[in-house]
Amino acid sequence: MEFFLAILSAVPTTLLVTFVSFALGAVIALPLVAGRRTRFAIVRLLSKGVIDILRGVPPVLFVFILFFGVGSDLIRWEPIPAAIVGLGLISAGHLAEIYRGGLMAVHAGQFEASAALGLTRTATFSRVVGPQAFRVVIPGMATWLISLLKESSIVSTIGVAEIMFVTNQSARSTGEGLLPFIIAAAVYIALGTPFAAFSRWLEKKLSFGRRA
Amino acid sequence: MELLNDWWTWSPRLLEGLWVSVQVTALALIIGIPLGLCLAFLSGARSRVVRWLTILYVEIGRGMPALVMLQMVYFGLPEIGVVLDSYIATVVALALTTSAYTSEIIRAGLRAVPEGELEAADALGLKRGDVVRFILIPQGFRIALPTLMGFAILILQVSSLAFTLGLPELLSQAYSIGASTFRYLEVLTLAGILYLVITVPGGWLVENFDKRLSRHLT
Amino acid sequence: MTEQQQPPASAETILRLRDIRKVYGDHVALGDVSLDVKRGEVLAIIGPSGSGKSTLLRCVNQLEVPDSGTLEVVGSNIDFATRVSAADLLGLRRQVGMVFQSFNLFPHMSVLRNVSFPQERVLGRSRDEADKVSKELLERVGLADKMQNFPQTCSGGQQQRVAIARALALEPQIMLFDEPTSAIDPELGLEVLSVMRQLADAGMTMVVVTHEIHFAAEVADRLVVMADGLIIEEGLPRELIASPSTARAKQFLSAITDR
Repeated sequence: MEFFLAILSAVPTTLLVTFVSFALGAVIALPLVAGRRTRFAIVRLLSKGVIDILRGVPPVLFVFILFFGVGSDLIRWEPIPAAIVGLGLISAGHLAEIYRGGLMAVHAGQFEASAALGLTRTATFSRVVGPQAFRVVIPGMATWLISLLKESSIVSTIGVAEIMFVTNQSARSTGEGLLPFIIAAAVYIALGTPFAAFSRWLEKKLSFGRRA
Repeated sequence: MELLNDWWTWSPRLLEGLWVSVQVTALALIIGIPLGLCLAFLSGARSRVVRWLTILYVEIGRGMPALVMLQMVYFGLPEIGVVLDSYIATVVALALTTSAYTSEIIRAGLRAVPEGELEAADALGLKRGDVVRFILIPQGFRIALPTLMGFAILILQVSSLAFTLGLPELLSQAYSIGASTFRYLEVLTLAGILYLVITVPGGWLVENFDKRLSRHLT
Repeated sequence: MTEQQQPPASAETILRLRDIRKVYGDHVALGDVSLDVKRGEVLAIIGPSGSGKSTLLRCVNQLEVPDSGTLEVVGSNIDFATRVSAADLLGLRRQVGMVFQSFNLFPHMSVLRNVSFPQERVLGRSRDEADKVSKELLERVGLADKMQNFPQTCSGGQQQRVAIARALALEPQIMLFDEPTSAIDPELGLEVLSVMRQLADAGMTMVVVTHEIHFAAEVADRLVVMADGLIIEEGLPRELIASPSTARAKQFLSAITDR
């Protein structure tokens, strides 16, 4: 029983790391996807490069580089900020691709019509294209959020006292191997299922009034 | 430059580690994907019990973090008498995770096989078993292939978590070099580059494949 | 030029549908339809969409299962009120060949393989035997040079001809055609129609659901008009098209001939 309580007490930390990284990534992804779509080939290439790196490096390695690598030489990080920045940047990479998918799904005609009507680029994106792309990216973003929830377990390796960290501690201190991990798995699944259900609900709500 | 020199010195160990990462990834896929195919079929079984058990397995396999799976297999199973070394434990854990995820990927692929092809096969008088074996599975796999390849790349990244089990894969080697030289940034960056050398071209291959496949799937 | 003649009265009836009924919720797809087809006969079925003509065709080889009625095909007797055994089903499908509107070739097999593979699995022929038959058939439909190609590299008309060869390779007694040219450019469709014509001349029993009035008029021995799940008219093609007796048939025919 104590395991359960100990693990539960770590849930807020897990949720904190998950949501803040997600928010950070959602914001950073915007300039990244903009970079992917500019006229300037160099910026496009650089953006693609950054996105590929953020998506191609194992998240735990990335967090390590920030915490041990950058941390020791340049700045002194606390575990949680390092975790959030690390996961946030990785999220930015994935979300940029999701945003890109959403923008590509918007009919080219929308951009043309907006231009013909004399709308500024900002207005086009915020009032015409954005809302339409939003509908397409929601499922993708929800899926990523759930993945991020699970991915947050890796920050246990740099000492953040979230679910995985506490589970490990419990397992080691008592020598009771299996139960803590089973509880941890159950907690992650219990946290993830409402998200999945919420995302399906959101999808349905947004496809309301969609003319084929 | 001194950095390149150091990279050159560290490379052999890191490459050994990379080789271990690649091995466990490959084994996990070789075991996990066929298992995923079985699960994909079991999820459509006639018996409700079988269907529910399959769904349970898949939801648990996909719902729990890979790190939890790895640690559960290595640190947790000994409690019930199953003691595995870090290599085998990694392969088992990754294979289980792979089977859960790929069962969904393959299911989607099988569902996407155009109904007309299956009807034509039925109309020709082919037995159910033959339709499944020669039409449904090959076509379903072809459709699922880009996603499966993307997943394979992901598993390579996930294998880095096995360092918590003490497996001497790439991250583990990089970390231990870092710990002895305190040049964490330099060696971890090299490790990152080594991962990218596989994952980035791999990602391009998948994108390419996806484009080519959607052309062929009239 | 084909002369329009009825098959000799002594020709056996090889397909007999009786009181075929299929209902989807409130919608009556087929309302107690009955139809006979004699050996060697070419029957064309026309009608507006939703008339049930495709559904009726698909009931013959059980791609649709009617709610009630009976089916006699080349000796197999099936009563839809009772369940059909898997063995009976396979036996039935081996005697009945079908060509689909969307061709439905197997994209992961070459043209040759598409035609040979079913022979190997369904008739138990060896690879060599099957290939020999396939090559002959593909030559007959004019596609000998496309044998090693994959379906995606063939035009619609070519794909459909391969589909015809594939069905013929199993030596069926009846060939069913479900709007075979509806998904093909008119020009390419001519190739397909000419193959079908050759087949008819060679004496194959054919049931063709189509929009191609000219084909019906020139090649079919008998024309059936369906609407709203029922057969509303039957008769000799040229006469029926020239002067339909029911108002509904008249309405439909004028829509497609007076364009």
